[in-house]
Amino acid sequence: MLIKQGKKGLDKKFERIPLEDQPGPKSQEEMDEMKMPYEEYCRKVFDVGNEFVKPTALKGIRWLSTTMYIFTPHSVTNLAELGAEVIKIEMPRMGDPMRHTSPFNEAYVYPLHDTRPMTGTGVACFNANVNEYYISMDYHREEIKEAFYTLVRMSDGLTQCYRPGTFDRWKQSYRYLQEINPRFISVWGGGFGYGPKIWGGSYDILGQAHAGLASITGFHEDFGGHPTKSTNWNIDWYSGTQITVAILAALLWRRKTGLGTKIEFSQVQASTRCLEYGVPLYGRFGIVRQRWGNWDTQLCVHGIIICGKSDYPNDKNPQLRDEARYVMVSAFNDPDFKELCNVIKRPDLYEKYKTHKQRVEAEAQVEIYHELEKWAADKSRSEVTRILKDAGLLAMPVYNDKEVYESPHFRQRGTVRWQADPWYGDAVVHSTYSAGLMSKTPRRKFWDLRPVGGDNVKIYHELLGIPLSTIKEWYEKTII
Amino acid sequence: MGIDRSFLEKPVSEMTPDEYRLMILEPEKDTDHICWNCRHFKPVIKNSNFPPADIIGWCKKIHWPFYWCIPEHRIVKKCYAYEPIK
Amino acid sequence: MCDIIWCKKVKEDGTVCNTVNYLDPFNFWNWEGTIACAECGTVYYIHMIQGWMYRGPEEQPPGTKPDILPVYADKPLEGYVRYRPGVEGRTRPYLCLPRDIYLGVPDPRRFSIRGYPVRGWPNQPPSTGIAGSAGFKWEIEKLSPEVWQEFLEKKKKGEVRDW
Repeated sequence: MLIKQGKKGLDKKFERIPLEDQPGPKSQEEMDEMKMPYEEYCRKVFDVGNEFVKPTALKGIRWLSTTMYIFTPHSVTNLAELGAEVIKIEMPRMGDPMRHTSPFNEAYVYPLHDTRPMTGTGVACFNANVNEYYISMDYHREEIKEAFYTLVRMSDGLTQCYRPGTFDRWKQSYRYLQEINPRFISVWGGGFGYGPKIWGGSYDILGQAHAGLASITGFHEDFGGHPTKSTNWNIDWYSGTQITVAILAALLWRRKTGLGTKIEFSQVQASTRCLEYGVPLYGRFGIVRQRWGNWDTQLCVHGIIICGKSDYPNDKNPQLRDEARYVMVSAFNDPDFKELCNVIKRPDLYEKYKTHKQRVEAEAQVEIYHELEKWAADKSRSEVTRILKDAGLLAMPVYNDKEVYESPHFRQRGTVRWQADPWYGDAVVHSTYSAGLMSKTPRRKFWDLRPVGGDNVKIYHELLGIPLSTIKEWYEKTII
Repeated sequence: MGIDRSFLEKPVSEMTPDEYRLMILEPEKDTDHICWNCRHFKPVIKNSNFPPADIIGWCKKIHWPFYWCIPEHRIVKKCYAYEPIK
Repeated sequence: MCDIIWCKKVKEDGTVCNTVNYLDPFNFWNWEGTIACAECGTVYYIHMIQGWMYRGPEEQPPGTKPDILPVYADKPLEGYVRYRPGVEGRTRPYLCLPRDIYLGVPDPRRFSIRGYPVRGWPNQPPSTGIAGSAGFKWEIEKLSPEVWQEFLEKKKKGEVRDW
């Protein structure tokens, strides 16, 4: 039943909304529009490519980012993509160390800073500090302290990644900042947090290893496997997003109470959240979960198999020539598994493992996947995918970056797109628009990066009102 | 029963692969578990302080592919999965 | 821990092979089979358990087919002579190479793969603002006119694409 607030306030009477004021179609035309096919409807409401004309959800939020590398910056990028105004504070002349961390030291964009014309910013820095204003600041210098506190007074929160207690020593921690701005939300993100390992640093690989994630990634010891790190820094991105969730909740809490929050986020505890049943299993039975590679411990068939032939047999790039051979196959319920066994001409396998309970046993999985790979040994990846799809089963090639870029699905949905960075030129954007579509307030990317201190005048002068002569003096003294 | 480690007196050239593996994985504990002479046993090795103090090692068989922690104070005397080391 | 096979095979010309073949622990932790020397191709049988050499290396008769090749080999007595990973027929093919080219040094680029300009080369003109302040537009026509010209020519030739 639709009701609206009565004139005398929430705790008084509620009255009915007249029919004409209720949402829903009012005419035949409106009814037709509501009945448009779902596909068309989605295209219309999401309107991919026109995100920039829509409002942003976090407009009016100002956040400070005194962060480095990927983990903590990403927590703020999420806010900036959703419309918050973010000021990234970097070390003068030097910038975020992530700028100097590029894959194989090869891929850079320029310039970094006027004083270092031959040094660039590594592309590994992309996507982690989107839509932010870049200023430089040396916190150690007394002259700049007041500017920092003024920024705190004017902002909603700050994310920092320095060692525990460092900001406290510099009188920049929550304890001090809430004195000058009780609504301030202060986030610390780092390796371990308070406790016996407080001084441990924070790295993605640490998050993967120390939380037990790497020990269940890779192939089983019995198959010659070792604990394996994901090549990319996925726990950095993952825990950054978890911080963003905490920030959004803290903002809501502040709306209710008017008070800020201290958020303390240990990266090594973040990845325990994706350990599934491993630790509870240990707690109940004393069983230590082990790696199970490209297969699945709960479902079978539900894994990745290797095919004999490459889709690009003559390509000079080994990534394509040798590795474009993997297919993901899923056929775990009984009819699907029966069909799969028929396709690979092993109906006896179905007779042997008629129920899912039987097939999901480890020994059964070894046999089933072995038979699947034997069948795929003389086929290419695309052949296997086609045959299985024709049989009505779920099968998809394991894509590499080139294929992600070429995927029509991603292109149509705007997940992967070309966009000119206003400062650094042409770039493929694959990050911002992949984090979910929103019909009213979609994410968007204005720019990826700016040079170190690129917005010094905009923030120090235009926002804080510091005279240009002072800014020049600070610059000469390398305070900014 | 305890640990039957008489094979350690043999020269390496006469050891079986199982015996050789157990020679390398010198265990921390010595108990009356049947597991010590089982080829599916993976002992806690000497001077390793990381695993919980009250286990002697792991059984690789009965919950394969997962490992079962064998408690030190629950003496396993017989086991359906027992296979003597070769 | 990394075990090695130091090949002492006397070659036909009377010299000793003296090649150190490295057995990377990730592959050879628990491993049984035959492996060839990267230099002279002599095949050895090895059986490793928990990273230790249980049996071998035992030289196999000529003509034996090796199961695997070493990941890397060098000749320490001859200075910096080595076989890097992926040398055909000598060291193991290195399937995880990220690309067919590998530079390891900055690779300046002026255009993206679809042909639009990218600010990817060093020594860009300095910023025009105070304290390193930068504008919000890369005015390429003004700042790098030669690249802009090149871009226009590429466009004329149809080398600039949407994707």
